[in-house]
Formats: sequence, structure tokens, C-alpha cells
Amino acid sequence: MSLSRRKFLELTGSAAAAALATELFELPELNAANTAAQKPSASLAALAEVALSTAKKLGATYADIRINRYRDQVVALRSSPDFATGKTNHVPTANETQSFGFGVRVIANGTWGFAGSHIVTRAEIARVAGEAVAVAKANSALQRQPVKLSPVKAYVDKWTTPFTKNPFDIPVTEKLALLEKANSEVKAVQKVFAAQSSIVAHSEDKFFASSEGSRIQQYILQSYGQVQAQARDLATRISRSRAYSPSPVTAGYEVIEEVDLPGNGRRIGEEVVEHLSAPPVTPGKKDLVLMPNHLSLTIHESIGHATELDRVLGYEANFAGTSFLKPEDMGKFRYGSEVMNVVGDRTLPRGMSTVGYDDDGVQATSFDIVKNGVLQHFQTIRDQAHLIGEAESRGCCYADSFDSVPFQRIPNVWLKAGEKPMTVEDLCSGIDDGVLIDGRGSWSIDHQRYNFQFGGDAFYEIKGGKKGKMISRVAYQARTPDFWATMDAAADQRFWQNHGLTSDGKGQPQQINAMSHGCSPTRFRQVNVLLTD
Amino acid sequence: MLSQTEAKQLIAKILSFSKADDCDVTVGAVESANTRFARNSITTSGRTSSIAVRISSTKDTKTGTIATNETSETALRAAVARSEELSALAPPDPEYIEPVGPQKYPEISSYDAATAAAGAKEMLPGVRAAIEGAEAKGLTAAGYFERDAEHLAVGNKRGNFGYTQRTTADYSVTARTADGTGSGWGAGEGGHLGDVDAPAAARVAIEKSLLSQKPRRLDPGKYTVILEPAAVDEMLGPLFGSFNARTAEEGRSLLTRKGGGTLLGEKLFSEKVTVRSDPFDPRLTASPWSGNVSTSLGGVGQFFFGGGGAGFGGYLPAQKMTWIEKGAIRNLGYTRYWAKKKGVEPTPAPGSNLVLDGEDHSIEDLVASTERGLLITRFWYIRFVNPQTVQLTGLTRDGVFMIENGKIAYPVMNFRWNESPANLLANLEGMSRPVRVDGDLVPAIKAKEFTFTSLSDAI
Repeated sequence: MSLSRRKFLELTGSAAAAALATELFELPELNAANTAAQKPSASLAALAEVALSTAKKLGATYADIRINRYRDQVVALRSSPDFATGKTNHVPTANETQSFGFGVRVIANGTWGFAGSHIVTRAEIARVAGEAVAVAKANSALQRQPVKLSPVKAYVDKWTTPFTKNPFDIPVTEKLALLEKANSEVKAVQKVFAAQSSIVAHSEDKFFASSEGSRIQQYILQSYGQVQAQARDLATRISRSRAYSPSPVTAGYEVIEEVDLPGNGRRIGEEVVEHLSAPPVTPGKKDLVLMPNHLSLTIHESIGHATELDRVLGYEANFAGTSFLKPEDMGKFRYGSEVMNVVGDRTLPRGMSTVGYDDDGVQATSFDIVKNGVLQHFQTIRDQAHLIGEAESRGCCYADSFDSVPFQRIPNVWLKAGEKPMTVEDLCSGIDDGVLIDGRGSWSIDHQRYNFQFGGDAFYEIKGGKKGKMISRVAYQARTPDFWATMDAAADQRFWQNHGLTSDGKGQPQQINAMSHGCSPTRFRQVNVLLTD
Repeated sequence: MLSQTEAKQLIAKILSFSKADDCDVTVGAVESANTRFARNSITTSGRTSSIAVRISSTKDTKTGTIATNETSETALRAAVARSEELSALAPPDPEYIEPVGPQKYPEISSYDAATAAAGAKEMLPGVRAAIEGAEAKGLTAAGYFERDAEHLAVGNKRGNFGYTQRTTADYSVTARTADGTGSGWGAGEGGHLGDVDAPAAARVAIEKSLLSQKPRRLDPGKYTVILEPAAVDEMLGPLFGSFNARTAEEGRSLLTRKGGGTLLGEKLFSEKVTVRSDPFDPRLTASPWSGNVSTSLGGVGQFFFGGGGAGFGGYLPAQKMTWIEKGAIRNLGYTRYWAKKKGVEPTPAPGSNLVLDGEDHSIEDLVASTERGLLITRFWYIRFVNPQTVQLTGLTRDGVFMIENGKIAYPVMNFRWNESPANLLANLEGMSRPVRVDGDLVPAIKAKEFTFTSLSDAI
């Protein structure tokens, strides 16, 4: 469905209305396996050329443009009692968002400049490219060292997330029917107050062109769903929630069918009611078994953020913070025990940060972050690699919108499973007094990623080597390297799961990023457990 | 960039495409310039313009919503059609409330043409003050300067139309010592670029960075604290979720009475505490209506239940509302749906355009009145531990100082704390004059028995 030359000229002529995103970005191809031979769109490349040539003419030594289209769909259902009659009201939501535009990034006088717009015409692209150069030149008055980019090959390629069912093609009625079934399963449990569930789809059509010759078109697709139960007890004035939150992934609607939201409704309904009257934890030093849907967030906060090179170097000092790590720690710092192995990876199947190329035009890579407990590498992008003596970027550049500046973001960061055969029961069998934590609760970590405190979604006591009854009011608090030093075993590969996060915030203005943190159930010894409210 | 006439025409055009019973439209356009710096150098900066058009179509209480930034006639026609398609697929909404009819909105505007025109050049002096000020003391500065010009409009098929425009400017800077043992922060904000005294904020950050060097270890525990306004604002926000009448009546809030009912009218806090929403306060940047018009498309994170005007505000005219009066719970927040259900008037969202009346003191006065306590610059990473008790956890950041006998004695290491803003307001002993922080007006607060649970090695 490529555009005719005449149609293209109509769209891109200076007097023409803004180009329609749907016409510039063709329908995504199903099954990406066959897309390797495809070429990026010539229409998009021609628009991009306007930015690159304008920037060059105005004195930029480097320029890139991203022309992007984003689509989001949220279908959700809240099932809660009518206050007067007690009858269950099913309150639906069906929202879609679409956004389209471009951002131009330049280096002039050794300084970055950026500008973006939602009006995709040749005239506006030329104007915005000029604006980006003007920003760079104005700011170069306070530039102490010129920006230096690590080398990258020029790629001409097209890449698509593998998927089999386009979630935007599935009727909203079908999704709402599935959610009503899931909520009804939750509500079938007596004493459940309310149920809430959602199905989300997010796509990014991205075109990247740089003055160094790359022309890269990508289609990234994310899908996920979840269901939540709520219960409360007016007599004790306690309310609790419990969620079934299967991992967000880069894939299509097929994943919603795989995860079986209705099939987990009754279980979480029963568990939230159990949580209401679960006895409080006795605080103190305890052994922990952390399930993948919980530990993923601890990995994110204490490893994902701490090993971002921009934080280590001070670029985030005014907002997200710095890191307890220093550049010279690379290859030396003992992060945790010998059994701790962590990988940074934008190639991980179904990882939320998995792409063909990053927003610097660097091909996706995979690299060791921690090996046998020792720090190996930081996450990097093109303008920072040279600051720690590295020749190439590790491909961690991302911007959350066409009008956001690309910068360093966390890739998929995952913890390897244990090498010896090991089940959750085996992990518990070595524990006299401990807690098993499932799902995410409260989370907080300091601005250098040392001191953290995590709650959870459900807690079970471990006594005499066995997982026992549900308990409540649990949080654990630790210092990052001390915590990872206590990791003594992880369940084997059979139990390894990926867990995606969708709303990591960083930068000013703040940008959102998604990535996955896989792991298997893992054991930590003698961690400080608190009794919360 | 989006005048009242243009906004009116745009909304009229969208409504002319509508075939639904009801069609609600909001338009938020924003033009931004920002300069970001770190390591004593400018890093990523830019200038952008964006627009978010949000269209909700309803037929027989079934609503579909679409948000787009494409404003050509073809794209808008397609968007309206898609919202109608979504509404046809949605089931009826039992909590649907009809959109408002024509409203008379008050004049609230804080638009400044010079702020709207400012770019990298106009922000350079503020950035220079931080970078050169830090360099002169051997420090490293990182910070951010942004100014926005927003143009917001609402309209619907029932003849309502409203328009406003406003500007804001925000500046913040962190200065850190070369040995990594000291860090200080300062900030300024306002409706106009001229309201922001960037050099003064930079001086505060630099001074605190130097004063906070080589902090001492102090045991965690309960301390009298003086929270500076930035810390107060971060802690108070989460409290106002509890003021939702529905959540309280359903048994899921701090303001739920044990056994059922709410704590409306109960005195829970210090007599000194009066908190209200006041969109008419000239020191704030508010809208002429209650309810949000987003300039961001928002994506998947932003959705709400209930079509039409079921939520807080629903584009009724802006109004004042007192939430806490002399320590007592004076009002709870009613969405339009819950208000109709209960036969009361709907309210603005609790905590919006927040004003906490302070006292006629400076922060220095509060320090001078303290025998032993901790002065806290700001907080970081606050999260709910228990939403029902509003127990929060968070950390201190960028300057904690021991006060002894009315004077700052020495810097101390950062802490993690587990505490509820309800306890903070109950244990309140004094306040400073309020200042604008993150769009609210809040003072510094002196309070006893604030709970710190562990030390943080972070600087």
C-alpha cells in the first residue's frame, strides 16, 4: 500500500495539510520473521531528508529526525456494588489515543539542540530543523566540552515486533466480554467488594534517519492485561487488594489469550479475602523467597537504575538522582554473591524494551551487567560511551514521544536462573523462619539506589522449611550491595519468568519507559523485615 | 498559538461531525521551551509544540473516547467516527452522568506574552547563574529551566464552551561537592518567567551543598522536624485521596469511621491547620473550570471510569472549597456521580489548587524556636505503604541539618522515613509563610515525633 508519487507530493507540499499518519505508516505486517528484506518507506525518507539537509545547511555537524506514530488502547471494566442496592455495576472504559509527529536533533557548535512538532509537513520540518540548530547555537555559550558520538554503522532496515494477532483489530466488545467474565469470577467469591480489570495495547511506528546515512523503520507492539480484586472489612477498618498481573510483553493479542484472566479471577478473590484477616508479620531478620513478579521490581530499582551511565556521571543529579557506583567500579565492584548474574539485553524475546535499533540508530545488543557478583558494564548511549573509554554504545537510547529528547534508558535487565535443579519448595526447605513474597506492593529507593524498601501483593510465612499461611503488613528494607550479597540460590530455568514494567519515569521533562526484568524465584538470607501499618 | 476564536472553530467543527447523543471535547495546546544542564554544561534542551484533542461520544450512556494530535479535517472526522464506533461497542454505563449545559465561567487567567515567547536565550542567564556559581566554589551543578504556554478549551453538544490560556515557569538546580559528600537543592516557580528568581535558587543550592558536606550519622527514630515547603507539598498530596467521599463511605479510606460511616466533622489535626482549594488565588495557576484539560495525550496510563461528566468537576465553574478547617474535616469530595447519588452538590477534586494557610514566621524563626530537631530540604520517592492509613515511605534528600538550641549545628546523613501526613498535621507545632511549590501554596511545617526508620548512604 505504498503512496503514489502524486499523492506523496500532495501530502508533503508546503501548502498541503499535515500528512495523515495512517497514510505514511502502512499497516503493520503480521509475522515479522519475513520483514528483514523489506525496505523502510521512501515517503518517510523523503520527508526526513528535509530536516537533514536544512540542519546541514545551517551548520549542524550531526542531525537526526524521528517521524513517529503512537497508538494506545485501554479497555477496562470496574465491577463494584451500587451503594444503595448492593447490585454490581459494571462500569466500562474504552479509550484510544493516537499521536503523530517528528523530532529533530542536531549538534551545532558541539552542542545538542532539539525541536519537535506535530505538524508533519515539509515546511514545518524545515522550520523545526532551524529551531533545533538555533537552540544548539544559543546553548553552546555554556558548553564546556563538545558532544562526541561513538561510531555507528549506517543501517537501512525495517524491523517489527513478532506478533500473530493485532490487538487493535480485536473488537472492543470481545475484550469487554472477557473482562466481565474475569470480574465475575472475582466477584463470585463472597466478601469481595470490587473487581477491576483492563486490557492495554500500545504501538510505536518509528522512522529514524540520520546525517550518517541510517534509514530505519520499526513497528513496536506491546500488549498486556490484568485483573484486580478488592475487599474491605468495615468492622476492622481494613481494606486490601490482590492482583493477577501477567507480564506486559512486546507481542500481540495472542498473549491476552495465553494468560487466562478469567481463570485466575477466583483465586485472587479468595486470596484478597484471606489477606483481610491474615495475621501481621513478626518483624526482624528473616530469609526471603521472592517470586519473579515481585523480584523484577527490586531488580529494576537496585540494578537497573544503579547501572545507568548517565546517572553514574551526574546527568540526572537534579531529578532521578545519581548512583552509588562510579565509572572506575566497572570490572571491580562486588555487587552481590557469586551466584548473581545479570544481563542487559534489548534482544530478549518479548522484552518490553526489545527493539531492532535504539533511538540513536544503534543495533540492539546484549551485554553482561553483573557476572559472578561483579559489576561488568554500564548501560550506555552514543554521546556517553567515550566518557568511560568504550568504543561503542550499548544501544540504550530511547525517547517516549516524537517530541521528547532521546536519552539513556534502562534496557531489559534480567537475572539468570540458578544452574542447579531447584524448585520453590527446595528454596523454602532451607528456611526456618522466612517470608515468601508474591507480586508488587509499595516500592521506594533513595536517589543513589542504596536504601530501598519494598512491600508486596501477598505474603506467606515460611516455617520449618515449608510455605505456610498468608500473613500481612510486610515490608523489607535493605542496602543494595548488602542485599545482593545475601542471595544464595535461585530456582532453575524452568521457573524463570519475564516481567515487564510499563511506566518507569526519568528525565526533565519527565519521560516514560518500559522494559522487562526476568528472573526465577530467588532466596535471600537474613533481610530486615518490617511490620507496617 | 491557539486563540479563543480558533479553539471555538475547532470544537464547532468537531461537534459538526458528531452523530452521537452527546459529544464532549477538550483541546489542550502547549508550546514549551526548556534548557537542561548537568556536569556544569548544557545537555539536552529543546523547543516543542503539541496539541491534544480529546473527544468523548456517548449514545444511551455508552461512551467511547479518543485522543489525537492530528487536526486536519479528515483526521478529526475519522477521530469522531472512531469514538462513536467505540461507544457503540461499549456496554451501557450505570454510573453515567450527562455533560453540563452552557456554563458561565469566571475570569481566571495568568497569561504572560513575554513568558510565552521566551526561548533558550531568555533562560540562559538563570542557567549561567547555577553553572558559574557552582564552578566558582568548585561544585558541580545540574538543573532544569522550563517555560510553558498553554491554551485550553472545553466544549460540548449541549452548548457549553470555555477557553483559557496561561503560562508557567519552573526552575530547579542541584549542586554537589567534588568529593561527593555534599548536595544542595533550590527551586523557583511562578506563572511568569519574571516570577522565577533563578540566581536566588542557585545560591540556595550552592550554600546547602557546602553546608551539607561530610554529614554525621544519626540514629533513626522519632525527631522534631522542620520540613521546608518542598517536603511539605510532596507529603500532603497523597492525603487528599482520602477525602473522596465515595472511598470513605465504602470503607476504604483514612476518613472511614470504624464500623461504617465517615469522619466528616471530626477534629483530626492541629487547630492551626486550614486547607482549601482556591482556584482564585492570584499566586496559583488555575483553570476557570473544575476538572482537568490535559495538554498531553497521556497514552495508556491515563484513563478513568465513567463517561460524560461522572468524575470530579465535570467542567462546572471553578469554586473554592475548604477541606480542613482548624484541624477538623470540613468537607469531603463528591464526584458528579456520587453527588447525584447522595443528593449533594458536586465538588472540585480534593487537593486541587491547594492552599495551606501558614503563619507569619520565616523558616529561620522556626529554626530559632527549636531546641533539638532536624531541618529537611526535600523528600524523594514517596510511596504509599498503606493507602488506608496513608502511611507513606520516602527519603530525605539534598540537605538534612541538626538544629541545636535554635541554630543549625551540623549536617546529618539522609534517612528513610515511614510516616503518615495525618500524623504530621496532628503533631504540627508551627508554620512559616506559604510559598508556591508544584502549583500549590504551602508553608514550612514544624512538627514533633516524625518517624525515621533507617539511614541512607545516599548523598
